[in-house]
Amino acid sequence: MLLTGQDNEKAVIRELMTSIGSERSELIPLLLAVQDEFGYVSEFAMQFIADQLKMPPTEVYGVATFFHFINKKPKGKFIIRLSRDMSSIMKGAKSVARQLRNDLGIRFGETTPDGMFTLEWTSCIGMNYQAPAMMVNNEVYSNLTPPMVHRIIEECRQEISIRRPTMGNVGETYASMLSYASHEPNAALTRAVREMAPADVIGELTVSGLKGRGGAGFPTGVKWNLAAKAESDLKYIICNADEGEPGTFKDRVILGKYADMVFEGMTLAGYAVGATEGILYLRYEYTHLRPHLEAVLETRRQARLLGENILDKDGFSFDIRIHMGAGAYVCGEETALIESLEGRRGEPRNRPPYPVEKGLHGRPTIVNNVETLATASCIVARGAKWFTGIGTERSKGFKLFSVSGDCARPGVYELPWGMTVQQLLELVDGVGAKAVQVGGYTGELVPASQFDRVMGYEDLGIGGSIIVYGQGRDMLEVAENYLEFFVEESCGQCTGCRIGNQKLLDGVRLLQKGTCSNRYLNDLIGLSHSIKSTSKCGLGQASPNVFIAINAHFQEEIMARPILAA
Amino acid sequence: MNTKPMQTHPHRHTAIVPGPDAAMIDLTIDGIELRVPEGTTILDAARQVGVRIPTLCHHDDLCTAGVCRVCVVEVEGMRNLQASCATPITRSIEVKTNTRTVRNARRHIIDLLLAEHYGDCNTCKRNNNCELQDLATEYGVDFYRFGHPTEPKYVIDRSSPSIVRDMNKCVLCRRCVRACEELQGVGCLTVASRSSRAHVATFANKPLANVVCINCGQCINHCPTGALTEVDQTDEVWAMIDDPTKHVVIQTAPSPRAGIGECFDLEPGTPMTYQLNTALKRVGFDAVFDTNHTADLTIIEEGTELILRLYKALVEKDESVKLPQFTSCSPGWVKYMENFYAGMIDHLSSAKSPQQMFGSLLKTYYAEKRGVDPAEMVVVALMPCTAKKYECNRPEMTSSGFKDVDYGLTTRELARMIKETGIDLPNVPEAPFDDPFGEASGAGVIFGATGGVMEAALRSVIEMVTGHQVEDFYDHANILPVRGIEGARMAEIPITEVGPVPDLIKHLVPDWEWLKGATLKVGVVHGTANAQLVMEDIKAGGPFSECHFIEFMACPGGCLGGGGQPIPTSPEIRAQRAKAIYQIDESCAVRKSHENPVILQLYEEFLTDGPCGHISHHHLHTHYTPRGKFIR
Repeated sequence: MLLTGQDNEKAVIRELMTSIGSERSELIPLLLAVQDEFGYVSEFAMQFIADQLKMPPTEVYGVATFFHFINKKPKGKFIIRLSRDMSSIMKGAKSVARQLRNDLGIRFGETTPDGMFTLEWTSCIGMNYQAPAMMVNNEVYSNLTPPMVHRIIEECRQEISIRRPTMGNVGETYASMLSYASHEPNAALTRAVREMAPADVIGELTVSGLKGRGGAGFPTGVKWNLAAKAESDLKYIICNADEGEPGTFKDRVILGKYADMVFEGMTLAGYAVGATEGILYLRYEYTHLRPHLEAVLETRRQARLLGENILDKDGFSFDIRIHMGAGAYVCGEETALIESLEGRRGEPRNRPPYPVEKGLHGRPTIVNNVETLATASCIVARGAKWFTGIGTERSKGFKLFSVSGDCARPGVYELPWGMTVQQLLELVDGVGAKAVQVGGYTGELVPASQFDRVMGYEDLGIGGSIIVYGQGRDMLEVAENYLEFFVEESCGQCTGCRIGNQKLLDGVRLLQKGTCSNRYLNDLIGLSHSIKSTSKCGLGQASPNVFIAINAHFQEEIMARPILAA
Repeated sequence: MNTKPMQTHPHRHTAIVPGPDAAMIDLTIDGIELRVPEGTTILDAARQVGVRIPTLCHHDDLCTAGVCRVCVVEVEGMRNLQASCATPITRSIEVKTNTRTVRNARRHIIDLLLAEHYGDCNTCKRNNNCELQDLATEYGVDFYRFGHPTEPKYVIDRSSPSIVRDMNKCVLCRRCVRACEELQGVGCLTVASRSSRAHVATFANKPLANVVCINCGQCINHCPTGALTEVDQTDEVWAMIDDPTKHVVIQTAPSPRAGIGECFDLEPGTPMTYQLNTALKRVGFDAVFDTNHTADLTIIEEGTELILRLYKALVEKDESVKLPQFTSCSPGWVKYMENFYAGMIDHLSSAKSPQQMFGSLLKTYYAEKRGVDPAEMVVVALMPCTAKKYECNRPEMTSSGFKDVDYGLTTRELARMIKETGIDLPNVPEAPFDDPFGEASGAGVIFGATGGVMEAALRSVIEMVTGHQVEDFYDHANILPVRGIEGARMAEIPITEVGPVPDLIKHLVPDWEWLKGATLKVGVVHGTANAQLVMEDIKAGGPFSECHFIEFMACPGGCLGGGGQPIPTSPEIRAQRAKAIYQIDESCAVRKSHENPVILQLYEEFLTDGPCGHISHHHLHTHYTPRGKFIR
């Protein structure tokens, strides 16, 4: 019998459901899988999936349109996504973009008439060390130059790139990670299971003073303790590998080099709080890491480090699965991440309740960053005392920093807390910088006059992304880039974040044109504070930081434009 | 006799309310000390002590969203402001609701909303009844600080026969999305896309007429602005009234008379029945009739159909007959069935809704009696409902040979017409309904409240079957077990004896003894989200599958909470309207459908082969269309 297109779609979707599942929580994996089959998710497919998952098709549409990497209409065979983070812009992304446009004869957001290429900008893809970088479908190309992208396009035209090994182009990142490199595999897990009660594991972490490395800095021991105390038949450990903060790539490097330590940390957490299910939430941009991670998981299962009765400990069962994100920076926020895991739009929840009480599927849930979990493995293996011996009074231990921008030695650095910005610049050979962005776009823009500030929770205690801006950099261009990012990545719930960031971006453009009155600039500064204080999650609470900072530190530059951009 | 309340629709994001054994917590709000159960939101606590906190995305009918951020307050010890609607009180706190930071933040949020809000207040149906406008006034907005759109971003969607969507006026509060999903279980609307591109959308942004919408209008009732409004037909009706060749009559449903006073600044629940008659005549209608007559007629027809179904199913064991029988007077509910349970539409009573029965009778029975040409007649229906606009346009609704009902006007539209005429409704003298119909029964009136159709049906069924006065079983004929506000409820009515059965229906079945000792099981459901639960229960063979007859109303509270009623709506307002409806019922001389002399006369003069006979089938019954959920 001749199958119609829709019958075929139905059959494929039914088949996918048998392997992926037919629960509401599998909505996003299903949409991605359907897209893998057909290149996009058709209106019919959305309705059929909705019908199968017993939800309104309109809601599927709402979810599908939320995520950047779910195509609602057919796109080119090769989808080229050029990273738009500031490190890429500084290293020539704009000329690469021009080359791409000229080679393909289309603008960004368009598809070539022959259906071969779609050209898009994308938010940071975690390759800032080798900027500029782009993805062609799931494959990453870095250190791009215009001649290089011309060659890549030609290769795609001949379709030879399909034979290219997927990991090949990511390349090596300069990484100085002493503690990680010297970690004895599974020492922490073995020690915990053999010698420690769950409460002791939590105690060790509490004493170590480890704080969440994703940026929020919540004490890890306290979080684990709350989850351990929460009563439930089911608990979840989620590893947040949705590393979307522009300028950060340390989690990619950790997952590439030390995935075992991350999984060990998750298993430790499972042991400590009594959870049986672990989920690695991997950002779509890191799809190229997935085969490697699946292999590591399988090896761990073989070695009885995952599964039933781990390390022969009776009743200790824990396993980990990988769940792919679909392109939304805000899903790095833990409650938005949980929403997307439940098959919904990645919109942060109202808190309380917090995930440790009511998280995934209403169950107690720990969401920890990749680095937090890997570091927890180091701590339990070597003891809290070792860890507290490093760092400062209020900032214990070490931290991984992703350094990019105007410096000679970008890369991932494992450094003790307590260094000044100036010391860091000396280390990475970026001395003489005009400003340094500490903690990613949501962090602080530190001007040269404040390079004596300390990196630690007592001062600049924020995430691990460091972007160095040299003397020739135009701070309005920086602010424009940041705000474009936040405008694109806002989930759109809170009024201030949804509309306010756009107004700030418009304001930067007025400043660029030289038509922003002082009065209006003051209105926008006032608005910045209101956006920060009224937003539900960290995105809106931090997005105006750059606007406030350029006004505070670079007012002469933004008003009078005395320097010319390099 | 027992009632079994059922859980209402289980929401994912539940409304934030304290648990049953919550500890008491002391706190202060603006220096006022108070004690509340743990888990109470700051907003609710503030309301308890009379502190007003402005809101926009919050609605008492809906679960918490916490997205507009207008209700932010300062909580001592917290770095950021907290949305009072979404923040449960879990410890002793000090709240400040009117600090400079708070006022600035609220003003900024209002400024931002206005910077995206395209439209002119003077030309907006919600002018002077708009929450955004109120906020702008309250916070002294005297210029557009962050600009104001000069061009529309969206094309106005006028495709639906019931609802107009102007997304240029949308403030993304998501109340329509939540109403459609939580109250109605339809899920026609969602938030699509993200960031500044986020917008309320139908499936794939298709026109409303092309997607699964039941036209109930709950989105309109819950919208704070003019983004969602009814399709306005007042100009068309004016044109008909002004045309001297047309004989323009209006039938008025029970709920508008209980609600329209709100459009004239009266307290909710002030009945306006007879003032409304005067106003309608002054507006220019040639005659004013009470839809309750055909509500009474619906009871007789639907009740007869039920007896026939029961006889065929229980006595003749005919398995093709579907039970429970569902009421069919709510057009939103009918469309819901056609879309979501297309395979079960045989459960719906074939009886038309009172609006459509009246339309057919007016253009036949009345036209002849009055000596007017039905082709020159215009039948207008005053309804609490936007789905009635869709219903009167259904192609099958032409049994008079013409379009049976020409226009369905909502309470809000009619209030505008009355205002336009310069009539101060609360202060006009009373006037009766017109001949030949005159006064109807109280049974028809209570159709407006959830449980009313069932109560009206039971008043007649009990008397006609048992031969006893219903007052012998229920004080003042108030059948309390079917009243209430639970989303879905059941009641059992034992039939202890039978006969003598009145002649009107006696011939329907060979004997009536089989009913003796039987227990009639009935259900009452309102809000289609609750209907969804009941339908799934029936499919699964649960308690509702054992019912014989179930009343379904699409809207929360029944018709009095309809999508065409005055805005705002809330559980309290609907309770007041219900009180008015039961009050009108109590004051009626006739309170049982089968005692309505007009109905009895109709069966003698016009529907001469009795209830569910051929003539009544032609004029008073209809059929349904399985539509399904998939959109091409």
